[in-house]
Amino acid sequence: MSRPVDRIAVVPQGPPARATDEAQRWDRETRTPFVAAHPERRQPFLTQALKWPIQPLYTPADLEAAGFDYRQDLGFPGEYPFTRGTQPNGHRSDLWTMSQVTGFGKGEDWAKRARYMLDQGLQGLILEHDLPTTNGYDSDHPLVEGEVGRAGMALDSLEDLERAFDLPFEKLRYLMSVCNAPQPVNLAMIIAALEKKGVDPRRFVLHIVNGILIEYTCVGRYIYPPVHGLRIATDCIEYLIRNHPNWAPISIISAQLQPAKANPVQEIAFSMAIAMAYLDATLARGLDIDTVAPYFHFVINVDMDFFEGICKLRAYRKVWAQLMKERYGASRPAALKIRMMTSPTTIALTLQQPLNNIGRLAIMATACALGGAGEAMTTPLHDEAHALPAEEAIRVGAALQHIVAHETGVADTIDPLAGSYYVETLTKRIESAAHAEIVKIMQMGGALAAIESGYFQRALGREQYERNKDVEEGRRKWVGVNHLVAPEQKRQIEIFRADNRMEEEQVARVRALRARRDNAAVAAALEAVRAAARSGANLVPPCLAAVKLYATHGELCDAMRDVFGVHTPDSQLTGV
Amino acid sequence: MKAVSPVSVRPLRVLLAKLGMDTHTVGITVVAHALREAGMEVIFTGLKQTPEAVASAAIQEDVDVVGISSLSAGHTRSLPRLARLLREQGSGEKLLVAGGVIPQEDLPLLHEAGFARIFTMGTDTREIVAYLREWWAQRLAAEAHKQ
Repeated sequence: MSRPVDRIAVVPQGPPARATDEAQRWDRETRTPFVAAHPERRQPFLTQALKWPIQPLYTPADLEAAGFDYRQDLGFPGEYPFTRGTQPNGHRSDLWTMSQVTGFGKGEDWAKRARYMLDQGLQGLILEHDLPTTNGYDSDHPLVEGEVGRAGMALDSLEDLERAFDLPFEKLRYLMSVCNAPQPVNLAMIIAALEKKGVDPRRFVLHIVNGILIEYTCVGRYIYPPVHGLRIATDCIEYLIRNHPNWAPISIISAQLQPAKANPVQEIAFSMAIAMAYLDATLARGLDIDTVAPYFHFVINVDMDFFEGICKLRAYRKVWAQLMKERYGASRPAALKIRMMTSPTTIALTLQQPLNNIGRLAIMATACALGGAGEAMTTPLHDEAHALPAEEAIRVGAALQHIVAHETGVADTIDPLAGSYYVETLTKRIESAAHAEIVKIMQMGGALAAIESGYFQRALGREQYERNKDVEEGRRKWVGVNHLVAPEQKRQIEIFRADNRMEEEQVARVRALRARRDNAAVAAALEAVRAAARSGANLVPPCLAAVKLYATHGELCDAMRDVFGVHTPDSQLTGV
Repeated sequence: MKAVSPVSVRPLRVLLAKLGMDTHTVGITVVAHALREAGMEVIFTGLKQTPEAVASAAIQEDVDVVGISSLSAGHTRSLPRLARLLREQGSGEKLLVAGGVIPQEDLPLLHEAGFARIFTMGTDTREIVAYLREWWAQRLAAEAHKQ
């Protein structure tokens, strides 16, 4: 089998037509007779998410057919169009920052776990809040019983963050906070807590995700109607750019579109359209593209289809650079370079035979590294499919990234898969399809219109159903799920549980706080938030004033509910 | 009870719901599509419902089955409460099922509360469809017997 490939490898010296001729000759003379005797094991071979046909062989002929041009399509690392990476020296100078998601319980519970994670060699943390917080309720609201401190840390007031920030800040390179719908409230609490702890806000980077448009698209943690959600997000972006220029005011979490089954093309197109909606709104505040664009940050998942994942990461960098240059006229290199964090996806992990997930995570983390990991990588944990993560899983998850970084050599040369006929063909194809989908979304009126009409939501709902059928009907083999299924699977992983007492304590705390603070001052501060919501003034300063008086998270969200109303989408707008 | 045409042709009516603050919708979307494709009538409550709201929707819509999707850890309280509310309002005959991220050790508690079946993560939708069809066939047979 190797001889015909050797012959093809010398083809680029000849005229373009020869590569195609040679490949066709090989297929006719060598491969077809073989396949006649040895039928292929899949009919047809398709990529996992896009379901694009996979050829048996990729040759220079495919690059020619795709119009591949080294300088135009790839260029060099650290140079436009950044396909080969935004860093001039890849990961040879600095590895990506290694991080993991954490967050549960009360503030001090989070701090304890965060310290444990920093001791495991992690340098970045992600603070996920519980669902009451991200949906804009205090812990004692009747609607949230049973959810307090479960899926993330409970946050009712500045007090909770004061406890959470009992951390060795010298070990932290960055902290990412996820609290999208109530973003100005969350941001104000973090700023106030850092001030109170005496932490120099220039000494580390705070990322606020600030990702409300993806919440409307697929995550569901929204409060206000989309147009107000976009305004609130823009207030936070503008405030941080003007007041904390070293922080990151916006992350586009494509890694939430992907578990909602966005395929790589949808993922790039939807996330870029969403980024452009924030970008346009921020530019309308009188900031210029070369100032604003460098602040945009993406979190991108990689799934088990190794090459779809790698090519997607390469296409992401190029599409962003092209949009910034051609659509927005950006010229600063920092505006053209996408900033990204990558992650193996949780949706590849299985409940069945959970230790297999360690293997999956290692493969996906390797794909992230090969695709250019970005500034940071975060790894989910092998027991996440079963329940909230346990400590042993955190240790293994941290070790995994070190294994990929230090033992495999994949980070030792820059963009090592460049020039692969398959990788370049697929990268280019994903890029072109993403541009076409972006044009379609722009014709609808952009991301806000696509959300308000339910286009994104229904497109994802269809993908969710179709991709699930692929597994159930065996078109996609999945070990432990529909392949190598073990009849009796005993659960061997640890389960972490937050206890019910924690919720009771949290509820008692917020009630005690309301009884003891200056309630007249709080009422006036809440009225100032309503006034800003009505007038269009930036919401962050009045929120900051209110949280320092210990106005609660839920009270501040309610103040904005009074002005903006609430978002209650029907089934057409949820895609269910 | 609504006045029904012959019970044998009545399609199964299913209310799918998300309780509390849990907003993960991929699983429930897949299940909703699969049940509709299997000829069942599916009503989705939308997100962020209380057990009270789901119980009253189930009664108002006169559904046969209530299916709850739970992917946060709140299920040990909210699911038993929903079951209790339905029983208290005289609708204990409805089939209660749930699915999502639910640890094995919580299953006895939920079964005891009145949930007939818990479909944990990774369950084949054809298994859910088959289970509901079988339950429905038995229920229809029982109704026919009563008549």
